[in-house]
Amino acid sequence: MIEAHELTKRFGDKTAVDGLTFTVPPGKVTGFLGPNGAGKSTTMRMIVGLDHPTGGTVIVNGKPYAGHRSPLHEVGALLEAKAVHPKRTAYNHLRALAATEGIPPARVNEVIELTGLGSAARKKVGGYSLGMGQRLGIAVALLGDPHTLILDEPVNGLDPEGVKWVRFLARGLAAEGRTVFISSHLMSEMAVTADHLIVIGRGRILADAPIGEVLAGSQQERVLVRTDDAGALAAALGSPGVEVRRQEADQLEILGLSTRSIAEAAFSRGLLITELTPQQVSLEDAYMELTGGEVEYRSQHMSAPAGSAPDEEGRQP
Amino acid sequence: MSIQTAPTPAPARSRDGSGLSFGRILRSEWIKVTTVPSTVILLAITLVVMVGLSTLYAWQLAVSVGFMADASPEMQAQMGGGMEMFREQALMAPASGYIFGQLLIASLAVVLIASEWGTGMIRSTMVAVPTRIPALLAKNLIIALIAFILGAGAAFISYFIAQPILSSEGLDFALTDDGVLRSILNTGTYLAFIAVISMAIGTLLRNTAGGVVTAIGLFFVFPVIIVNIIQGLADWIPDAARFLPTNAGDRMLMFPAEAAGQLSPLEGGLVMAAWAVALLIISLLVAKRRDV
Repeated sequence: MIEAHELTKRFGDKTAVDGLTFTVPPGKVTGFLGPNGAGKSTTMRMIVGLDHPTGGTVIVNGKPYAGHRSPLHEVGALLEAKAVHPKRTAYNHLRALAATEGIPPARVNEVIELTGLGSAARKKVGGYSLGMGQRLGIAVALLGDPHTLILDEPVNGLDPEGVKWVRFLARGLAAEGRTVFISSHLMSEMAVTADHLIVIGRGRILADAPIGEVLAGSQQERVLVRTDDAGALAAALGSPGVEVRRQEADQLEILGLSTRSIAEAAFSRGLLITELTPQQVSLEDAYMELTGGEVEYRSQHMSAPAGSAPDEEGRQP
Repeated sequence: MSIQTAPTPAPARSRDGSGLSFGRILRSEWIKVTTVPSTVILLAITLVVMVGLSTLYAWQLAVSVGFMADASPEMQAQMGGGMEMFREQALMAPASGYIFGQLLIASLAVVLIASEWGTGMIRSTMVAVPTRIPALLAKNLIIALIAFILGAGAAFISYFIAQPILSSEGLDFALTDDGVLRSILNTGTYLAFIAVISMAIGTLLRNTAGGVVTAIGLFFVFPVIIVNIIQGLADWIPDAARFLPTNAGDRMLMFPAEAAGQLSPLEGGLVMAAWAVALLIISLLVAKRRDV
């Protein structure tokens, strides 16, 4: 269980994490989603005490991370793949970390097998590929058989087999009753891995809900219409809350109206419709819809006059 | 992949006997020091170079004395009292490798800690030991211990190698002679303080190149500049220069033990220890406070 309360981190006058309050419960995979620079890594680093919060608190399993007697048994963290001396072998890296808490060497061999490092574990880490480095990072996270796992972009650099493996691993660990907190900037990956999503943009929470709800919440009805007289149909449908986008001469995309309402409007005016197709909102669309506002907000800010005061969140343009 | 199935109860938070302890953190840091091959190689080189320098030192003393003995009586008279000076210099033979040994130990200590930042290893270390200070203390203790054993060991070996060389001119001496054991053991003490000061510099700067330059500057360049170039500017400068870490520390191994206007071996050792402890404490507090 991870509980963050008003967690804030400022670097100089830049606010990386802006008053995050959230709970990551055990027994589920919680996805932490956001565009690059949204504050995901900084938040995860604060959970394990690498960064000191500017404000607010975060506790893991009831205590600040540094307050635990066996931190590696409480939290397994993959924060960046190669937090390793390149001249040391993976085996010795794991052995050194295991030694801090008296984790037996048998467990080192176990995680080496579990993560598929195998014979590469006796080679120097400097020669590892991105994917192998990632496997070593996951091995470190699993070392203490922790109750809580924090994985920052774990599938980065993994091959398709590795991606699938991480997915099974995360779901398996959650099924065992552990807390699993995974960050990603890939909505599609989260959709198949996570049960619950926390979406952030520019350091603030945009959504904190079960994954189905996040998708449904952004799901506006979107219908593709083909008609001989697109102009007339567009005029007929125009009303508050409805958005009509002209895509081609004879093709419109309509948001905010059901297929039946569109058909009724066309029928009442005697317009011929040749195609009427409800559109599936893709995962990426849902994600862009959630975070897109943040991006737009930023570009608006760029055009603000020079020397303008920082906005209410203390950010400079 | 056995892990993907079977919903089982949440694992126990902590196993019997597990948990952080200073002894375990020491063991972890020991594994780290011994599993990077270049560290072990550098330590071996340091030992060889220290013993080699001491041997050369003893040899050049013997040659000098031999040269004097062969010289004309007038010249001997001119250099009168020289033999006493050579005897004193001979006592320095075991410790004389410290000059170069400190260079290597300082570099090693800086590299051991600064490379943790350079490689990102520090994040693994500080996630494993989130209170941070025990991990840094353990690393300091290990490098200080290694430096002590290396320094004292090299001086002991040098003592035994130097005796046959010195005895050819009657300059040999016994381990039990006044100050000999002090000088040999304090070669280790001196290097241990060098190691701690250097590691503090590496911790504060978090950068290998900058740390090595700063340490060498503090130990070599700064004392030399003060002693040789600017000491004439004011009376207090040479006076204060005695309290620089290396100037104070090498009193621990010098002969004669007491000299006019110089710190005694004990005073010198205490001054160097004060430098080491002060810098260690500052580096621990800064590392504790900073983001990693």
